[in-house]
Amino acid sequence: MTRLNVNQWLALVLALLAAAYLAMAWQIPTFPLPRPVDSDLFPKVLGVSLLLLATLLFFEKPSAIAGADEIDHEATNGPLLFTPWARVIVTSLAIAAYAFLLVPLGFVLASTLLCVGLTAYYGYRRHGVNLASSLGVVLALYLTMTRVMDVYLPTGVLPF
Amino acid sequence: MDALNNLMYGFGIALEPINIAYVFAGVFAGTIIGMLPGLGPISALALMIPITFAMEPSSGLILMAGVYYGAIFGGSTSSILLNAPGVAGTVATSFDGYPMAKQGMAGKALAIAAYASFIGGTVSVVFLMLVAPLLSKVAVSFGPAEYFALMVLGLTAVVSLSDKSLVKGLIAAVIGVMISIVGIDTQTGTERFTFNSIQLLDGIDFLVVALGIFALAEVFYMLLRGGGGKEVPRNVIGSLKLSRSEVKQIAGPISRSSVLGFFTGVLPGAGATIGSFLGYSMEKRLAKDGDTFGKGNIKGVAAPEAANNAACTGSFVPLLTLGVPGSGTTAVLLGALLVMGVTPGPMMLEQRPDVFWGVIASMYIGNIFLLVLNLPLIPLIAKILDLPRPLLLSMILIFCMIGVYGMSFSVFDLLLLLGFGLLGLGLRLFGFPTAPLILALILGNIMEESMRRALQISGGDWTTFIDKPISLSLLVIATLSLGLPLLKKRRNKAAAAAN
Repeated sequence: MTRLNVNQWLALVLALLAAAYLAMAWQIPTFPLPRPVDSDLFPKVLGVSLLLLATLLFFEKPSAIAGADEIDHEATNGPLLFTPWARVIVTSLAIAAYAFLLVPLGFVLASTLLCVGLTAYYGYRRHGVNLASSLGVVLALYLTMTRVMDVYLPTGVLPF
Repeated sequence: MDALNNLMYGFGIALEPINIAYVFAGVFAGTIIGMLPGLGPISALALMIPITFAMEPSSGLILMAGVYYGAIFGGSTSSILLNAPGVAGTVATSFDGYPMAKQGMAGKALAIAAYASFIGGTVSVVFLMLVAPLLSKVAVSFGPAEYFALMVLGLTAVVSLSDKSLVKGLIAAVIGVMISIVGIDTQTGTERFTFNSIQLLDGIDFLVVALGIFALAEVFYMLLRGGGGKEVPRNVIGSLKLSRSEVKQIAGPISRSSVLGFFTGVLPGAGATIGSFLGYSMEKRLAKDGDTFGKGNIKGVAAPEAANNAACTGSFVPLLTLGVPGSGTTAVLLGALLVMGVTPGPMMLEQRPDVFWGVIASMYIGNIFLLVLNLPLIPLIAKILDLPRPLLLSMILIFCMIGVYGMSFSVFDLLLLLGFGLLGLGLRLFGFPTAPLILALILGNIMEESMRRALQISGGDWTTFIDKPISLSLLVIATLSLGLPLLKKRRNKAAAAAN
């Protein structure tokens, strides 16, 4: 069996998505009063379109992807935690943790922790400058949003 | 005369001290963001949306318009100094700008870019002022069928003009429309693709998708590339002065490219990138010293810079008069306007003249600010490129978070933001263009609504879309816009094979 190329893999994933989407589109209830177009028509058209496009993509020859070769391959040889993909995963986890800690810790504390932590993780070694600038930016944002624009942001453990 | 009176009215709004401050802030912020490689006007505008929440719509749009053309101009600075265009629209500027910088003429190149941007921007604002009211008069007669056809054209044009695969562009557009219809169907009250989640009943907010797909995905992408950036060469600015003969040399290219850029910007899907390349190639063909283009010819900086700024202004024409954005960037602007409670379109001129004319007048002021800011402050602003990349990345993340949370107060939306960030990274890595997705996201709902309304009126008769001459012509152009690039590709292949 010949190996599938990138476009063919993508096409298969998209076709599966389109099939799932169509299955859900068929479950959209119809409106009690008869109408020329109901809520389900547009999603069905979209699902079929995606399926057709996935088929076209399957037969399209993959071209060189601009930017894909710019991935920092040198860093892949370094410690596992600092490889390019590890950076993306750690950042994603940090964002997810931030989302859950934002309300209990408060905006200022959670944001400063995220900013300082990630900056240090990305390799910035001047920790004093890191802390001062992160705290400065977060406080400036917090005060602008809460005092100037009257947007509520969680205070959390801090009294303000 | 009417236009002049209206413009005066617009100046009355734009010259309010608070709005002058917003134009200044917008142009300044846009210039800085545009200078940072990777962060283009779309990211800049998306980051600005949370700031414009509580503003008057006219002030909000004035700020964002400033950010928009500021970002396009700012992109030229990193193009010239670093050969790293912050914005796609300034790629053509780097062809001659960077060689000029290497020859110790960075100051001259930056000055030419500032003058060309100023003239391109100003000329196109005059065109915008004249064309927009005329077009909005025509647009009043548009029914739902015509609107549907126009939106199809907007989407196909953006897909066909992206330099990536046509199929991938169309897939991105379909995904965008799919995201847009999540939530309760406003016409029937039926839930669609909500997975029984209360948070999805209102649909997925545009800002979450825009910040995720552009700003967050950009952070991820930079992390994959190593998170570092090229070092800024020091003391490369040099003199900013131009000689009389140099001014004479660039006068022609600037005026020609300003007009060309404006009309390129008006076309859906074209915009600053195409405008700047067209301007550059036109001047290269016209110039007697065309062979020196790419080696530091001043006309090679002037033409794309005038064209890209003119195209930015031109792209406001379909947005303000038809309510249909012609590019990813103006789609973000449309989203921002909708967040502020303003629906652009033919009626905006009558219902919200303050927004319409205020923005046009602010463009004149913004262009002056661009010149005032960029000439003397360029050496200073260039220092922003010294900001350590790790710190910059973390701060962009915080801006994204506060943007999303400040709008929805929802932890769920923060997680959605992360999801869209990863989706954006995937799209980018696999060569899917993101502009069609964001445009489709904005247009999806309006497109479905127009389609259903048209069918409602016609009693379910699908020929309604081809019965009317305007919608038929728009649909034919949409089909051609997809078919022609394919034909051209095939012909090029055949020619290459024959050779």
